Amino acid sequence: MKPEELIAKYNEGLADPAEVTELEKLIEEGTVSLTQLRELQTLDEQLSAVDDGSPTLRLDDGFYAMLAKEKKKQRGLTITWPSWSFLLPRLGVAAVILFLGFAGGYWLRSPSGNSDVATLTQEVVELKEMMMLSLLEKESASDRLRAVSLSQELVAASDKVTDALFVTLNKDPNVNVRLAALEALMPYASQPRVREGLVRSIAEQDSPLVQVSLAELMVALQEKKSVTELQKLADSDRTPKEVKEKIKKSIEVLI
Amino acid sequence: MTKVRDGDVDKLGLLFERYKRPLYGFFYGLNRDQELSEDLVQNTFFRILKYRHLFRGDGDFKTWMFHIARNVSHDHYRKNKIKVKEGVEKWENRLGHTDHRDAEMQNADERQLLEWAMDRLPADKREILLLSKYQEKKYKEIGELLGCTEGTVKVKVFRALQELKVLYKQLEQRS
Repeated sequence: MKPEELIAKYNEGLADPAEVTELEKLIEEGTVSLTQLRELQTLDEQLSAVDDGSPTLRLDDGFYAMLAKEKKKQRGLTITWPSWSFLLPRLGVAAVILFLGFAGGYWLRSPSGNSDVATLTQEVVELKEMMMLSLLEKESASDRLRAVSLSQELVAASDKVTDALFVTLNKDPNVNVRLAALEALMPYASQPRVREGLVRSIAEQDSPLVQVSLAELMVALQEKKSVTELQKLADSDRTPKEVKEKIKKSIEVLI
Repeated sequence: MTKVRDGDVDKLGLLFERYKRPLYGFFYGLNRDQELSEDLVQNTFFRILKYRHLFRGDGDFKTWMFHIARNVSHDHYRKNKIKVKEGVEKWENRLGHTDHRDAEMQNADERQLLEWAMDRLPADKREILLLSKYQEKKYKEIGELLGCTEGTVKVKVFRALQELKVLYKQLEQRS
């Protein structure tokens, strides 16, 4: 019997055990595909569609605690006591810096120092900003991460800083750097300009982690303007299934 | 995974986020116990971390992960043989011909019937169908996992689906 005939007979439910055995042989050889067997294919599709649920946060807690323990163990293994020849010059430099610090402190204590302190603080802030902006241009992801964390040290970030953070959030090739930039922007989310930027950023993201973080942030901010952008993401074919679900939940909360 | 193997254990977090759901679904499909499934996912990742140096990097990470997951599952049931027996008895009671069960069946939808039919399949057949689902029908990779050819895997899936169909129809008639 030809394979087509056998498939047709099986699909009609008329195949006897000998024919089923023959069909098995054809499946094993690759002549017949499982997708050709109508009823089984439907069943298989139904089975794929069944949602087996998702784990609770207990699993995340357990996993990340285990990971932290492993990292600690790893660090413990790599730390070795440095030699004196390595340590002495560094201790010397530290002592000089300490002395300069004390001297500087004594000098700033004078009454005329108040305005100087303000200028100095301003200069330090500007210096930090400059350092942050130049670090953001670096090729190494860890340098860029350092830049983002530096921005968190600034008491009030200027527009220049938030703009730079947005460029990082939207364009940086590294997901961890983008996530860090998002975290750094969170304290300024009360500013309308930053909020708008965050909403616009939803469409720019292709990493599921950043997409989910942004969706969570929108819920936390109760930013209803983000619903359109989130909906686009939820409708997109490129968005992973899990992220879609998460985003849909966020949209429900927002509406 | 190669980065994790070479010491960047932080990257395991990314793999965990990507695969925790399919892995959980695989275990949950086997045992229908949420807490136990979460523990088994955790154990799988613990072993991945512990035996990371054994990952050769020439194969698919997902296949390697499911290989470990199967071992974790088998070890669990070997260690808890008595408990499993009790569990099976409990299931048999639940699946028995009680009035309560019949009433439940009358209201069951397609999805529910399919889940019950899956629960009634022998463990090896349930496992092959779950592997097929969560390995996205990559029969060659499943063959590597089970130590058999791609053709044999297809036949196993065929037989499991056939038995599932029979069980499903039986349940459908009773509902």
